[in-house]
Amino acid sequence: MGRDHKFQVVHSVTLFAEYLREGRLKLDKSVFAEERCTYQDPCNVSRNGGCGKDAREIIGYLCEDFVEMEPYGDYNFCCGGGGGAIPMAGPFRERRLRSGKVKAEQIRATGASICITPCHNCYDQIRDLNKEYELGIKVLSFKEMFEEALIIPEELKAQEEDEDEE
Amino acid sequence: MAEVTALDPKKFKEAVKDKSNARLKMWLEICAHCGLCADTCHFYLANDKDPEMIPAVKGRKVLEALRKKDKIDEEFLEDFYWTIYGECTMCRRCTMFCPFGIDIATITSTGRGLCVSQGKVPENLKKTIASYYEHGNQMEITQEEWIDTLQWMEEELQEELPGATIPIDKKGAKVLYTVNAREPKFYPMDISQVARVFYLAGEDWTMSSKGWDDTNLAMFAGDLKAAAYISQLVRDAAEELEVRRVAITE
Repeated sequence: MGRDHKFQVVHSVTLFAEYLREGRLKLDKSVFAEERCTYQDPCNVSRNGGCGKDAREIIGYLCEDFVEMEPYGDYNFCCGGGGGAIPMAGPFRERRLRSGKVKAEQIRATGASICITPCHNCYDQIRDLNKEYELGIKVLSFKEMFEEALIIPEELKAQEEDEDEE
Repeated sequence: MAEVTALDPKKFKEAVKDKSNARLKMWLEICAHCGLCADTCHFYLANDKDPEMIPAVKGRKVLEALRKKDKIDEEFLEDFYWTIYGECTMCRRCTMFCPFGIDIATITSTGRGLCVSQGKVPENLKKTIASYYEHGNQMEITQEEWIDTLQWMEEELQEELPGATIPIDKKGAKVLYTVNAREPKFYPMDISQVARVFYLAGEDWTMSSKGWDDTNLAMFAGDLKAAAYISQLVRDAAEELEVRRVAITE
């Protein structure tokens, strides 16, 4: 307290949105065109971090079929994995899974096949909820989706060794 | 780790004194018990609307704890512990609907701080705090293991993108990227995935050999002294490397 920071703290979501906005990254939107996506707002990224809008901007470049949970954004529910609930483990696990019922129902109501979330707590919790409440979804972070959808310029790719056979 | 420690009323009273500021008292006294917070809480909704799960009721327990001072007893503390760690994730959704904007997350954090004074902290959180002190991260990852993981992920990525790198301790880089220690431990591919993003975006970035875990479980445990120490680790790394931005992982 009381000291000036010489640096700025930025969440990945804001950084990724900047890259896309500035044209530094290009995504192939067709990759996830067959999937319905929804977005889990991590409490400390959206409500308490103010990055909800940046996340939707990324989604605009990434998803064809996107459905919001109800409620969403600043009013979205906690997944139940926050506040240290995941690492508390042990006897806290059962409470955590039970409290996640609200999130599980929100996700189910969207009919989504992919739930995107940029938070490791949400990610681990929703993967557990996926099993516990049989949601049948895939839980993905933005960077996992980018791995598949980023357009890579040919000159940056490794040369195929068996190319001369063609 | 130590088992449940014996009650220390003197320390509890000291913690109450330490935590009782005007803002907290105002919040606790201004609550009108209007009940608007009830339906905002996922614990309340997921537990068949159990009144014990209403955020205002949990806040009231903190008020009771503060009033107990050195009259704290085992039975109260036991119930308090389960409420304060197990029935609130400090998500702040209730605050959005409170007519007074009462910050239940801060009230919960205060309650956890009172438990810390008694050493009554979930065992697994205690372990992570010890690990931050010993290794600088919550997952007991040594510096050697961390560097090895970064190099391994760089090699993986280079098979596809020969020009991509994972810079370590690059002084003056624009962005210092920090991760959740669960990544090198359980999800190392997260690291090559983000390196791919930075490479394609043409970012001038670096990882740090120390102060690289951006989680702070001591903050969630309510141990603010340890929390300050942990955040200082990242800050030191950022200042030493003279970066302009510290990016925190997804």
